[in-house]
Amino acid sequence: MARRTRLLSATAVVAGASLALVGCSSGSSSDDTAGSGDGAVTLQFWGWATGLEQAIEVWNEENPDIQVDFFRMTGDDGAKIPAAIDNGTAPDVVQMSVHSIPSHVIANRLTDLTEQVGDLEDEFTPASWANVTFDDKTYAVPQDFGPNALMYRTDIFEQYGLTVPTTWTEYLETARALKAANPNAYIAQMSPNETGYWIADVWQNEGTWFGIDGDAWTVDVDDEASQEVAERWQTLLDEDLVKVVDMWTPQYWAEVNAGNIATINYAAWFPALLEANAGDLAGKWGVAPSPVDEAGSTAAGAGDSSVDVIPTGTENVAQAAEFLTWLNTSPEALDILITDGSMFPAATTGLASEALAQPNDYFGGQVINDVFVQAAENVPASWVDGPVYDLVQDNIKDEFAKVANKQQTFAEALAATAAYAKDQLESQGLNVK
Amino acid sequence: MTTTAAVPTVARTSPRRRRGVGGGQRRAPYAFLAPFLGLFAVFTLAPILLAVYSSFFQVKRSGLGFGGDNTLTFVGFDNYVRAIGDSGFVAGFGRMLGYGVVQVPLMLGLALVLALLFDSAVVRWKPFFQLSVFLPYAVPSVVAALIWGFLYQPRVSPIVEGLHAMGVPVDFLAPGTVLWSLANVAVWSVTGVNMVILFSALQSVPREIYEAARIDGASELRTALFIKIPMIAPSLVLTFLFSIIGTMQLFNEPMTMRAITSNISGDYTPNMAIFQTTTLGGDANLGSAMAVVLGLVIFVLSLVVQKATNRKRGAQ
Repeated sequence: MARRTRLLSATAVVAGASLALVGCSSGSSSDDTAGSGDGAVTLQFWGWATGLEQAIEVWNEENPDIQVDFFRMTGDDGAKIPAAIDNGTAPDVVQMSVHSIPSHVIANRLTDLTEQVGDLEDEFTPASWANVTFDDKTYAVPQDFGPNALMYRTDIFEQYGLTVPTTWTEYLETARALKAANPNAYIAQMSPNETGYWIADVWQNEGTWFGIDGDAWTVDVDDEASQEVAERWQTLLDEDLVKVVDMWTPQYWAEVNAGNIATINYAAWFPALLEANAGDLAGKWGVAPSPVDEAGSTAAGAGDSSVDVIPTGTENVAQAAEFLTWLNTSPEALDILITDGSMFPAATTGLASEALAQPNDYFGGQVINDVFVQAAENVPASWVDGPVYDLVQDNIKDEFAKVANKQQTFAEALAATAAYAKDQLESQGLNVK
Repeated sequence: MTTTAAVPTVARTSPRRRRGVGGGQRRAPYAFLAPFLGLFAVFTLAPILLAVYSSFFQVKRSGLGFGGDNTLTFVGFDNYVRAIGDSGFVAGFGRMLGYGVVQVPLMLGLALVLALLFDSAVVRWKPFFQLSVFLPYAVPSVVAALIWGFLYQPRVSPIVEGLHAMGVPVDFLAPGTVLWSLANVAVWSVTGVNMVILFSALQSVPREIYEAARIDGASELRTALFIKIPMIAPSLVLTFLFSIIGTMQLFNEPMTMRAITSNISGDYTPNMAIFQTTTLGGDANLGSAMAVVLGLVIFVLSLVVQKATNRKRGAQ
């Protein structure tokens, strides 16, 4: 999520500054309306997803008693959230990365929403719902989702007579065949800095980094599910079948544009970024389901997604929950977010929406979201975030960098990060099994 | 010249001064100092005291941490023990030491040579070249790191591509080279400002001394080595001290370059480790202890440098 905000902010730095001013001024004026005694409340909402303004406009027209005042987060605005909540100046609703939930919960920053939104479980896919529920308590409402699918270069596959792999075994064979045909071409990239890429593969394999066992956290960074994925990546790296390059760098996009990367197995929000950074490759990409372990399986992984939370200290929990329920489950709001914001929604209503099933010109007119929707429905409900997620993510980046430099193996990296994760949990006084 | 010019001024103001002697006279310096002292107290002293205070506490949680019974407990020097026991944090100091040993002498040597050249008669277009050398300092460090980041990256850098075309397989971002690539950015950025400090010190050396040396038959080189450099030794010590402090506090450049290479770890420099602990780990107490440790190390290093140079000058 940090990445996506960064990318958005890159184009919106100037706009962001003026919006910040707008946010401030409208904030003070709305307090006046709230104080006028007509029972109306004004909710402050900090978020970054595109299309939120349009959706909120509709809500505000229909709900004069619950007005929403939106502030668009750019750059490092997310870093202000903890301090704002701790000092009682937080907005009523905040969009954040799904991975951040537990670290905020243990710091008493999030309102337990089980009572208000607990019955929304059926509105979301099992994976999305599992992400916001910890120890049977719900702390957030899922907003968007990033299920994985295989984006592949149709022209390269055609040129070398390759077929799109459906299993990881076929994927490996395809990688070898491609390398043999063109030494400069790689089946994929290995990016130590993009942990989401790794997480998605582990998730597809029904793995996780953390878990809850009774009154204790478990660290699963190097469990069997992760080890199996590590083995696959180790083969790809050892046989020089993947291009080692950090993702999102100018070099990365240069490699993509040069046709050196034939497939990208990533999230539903990636195609928009691909189009923005590799516009010349329009019509040369296709989307297929991610390869799976065994033929017949439909399991898919998922990259980063975002949720909406209600910080502790807000007085308008009921109203905020009502707004969030509308925003993230009503067909009306979801259609706006999909159409105006190009959002890939977490709600099943959104997944079934006509607005989502539109042909994509960049992908030669293919209805790519059909593939992503199918993936969304098949992401295992296995992933659990832990309170030290951010540190662990930073640590595994550094360990994977050593793997990329051939200084250690994936298995060694996982062991190192698992030990680090346990250390960090214990140093906070938390129970670890 | 300046002293003679100052004499009448003093003479003119002295009667008024005498009249003003009293309470107001003694309060005046404090009134002028007040804005500085106020800001210093609020933005430097108070944060330091707060950091020291919070470094002795820890948030204690239990179970899953979801109960909400977070208590701030006094833990004595626990955070300091953890900070010093954190191998990543300690390794950052070692890395910066190695970096400093190479970068600081190189940069100061370059700044000194440039200052001596500009002070001598050999350089033409002096203002132009002086501005050119100084200009990189005007580029914010984040921007400098971004620019150099592009120049270090394969496929997008003309330098890397050019060298590859000539058969030199260079990688500026490899684990073994990235530290020196960072040092290069620092040299590029701060040589200019150090040159200016040294150059202005050279300008304030009385010209009569050079004339005397020339009459004694000393060449330009000998004058530079045995007269100019000893004369500006205090400025050299000052720039050396600032460079060491700057090295230990390195943050912007590696943090920015981390976005393009994974070979800069999250705790690459002491300041980055503090940032990681405080922001990503949410542990402001441990972060405070680490910051105090960093402050102490810088303090001790500065003290050592000052003592060493004082003794040396005393011996001379």
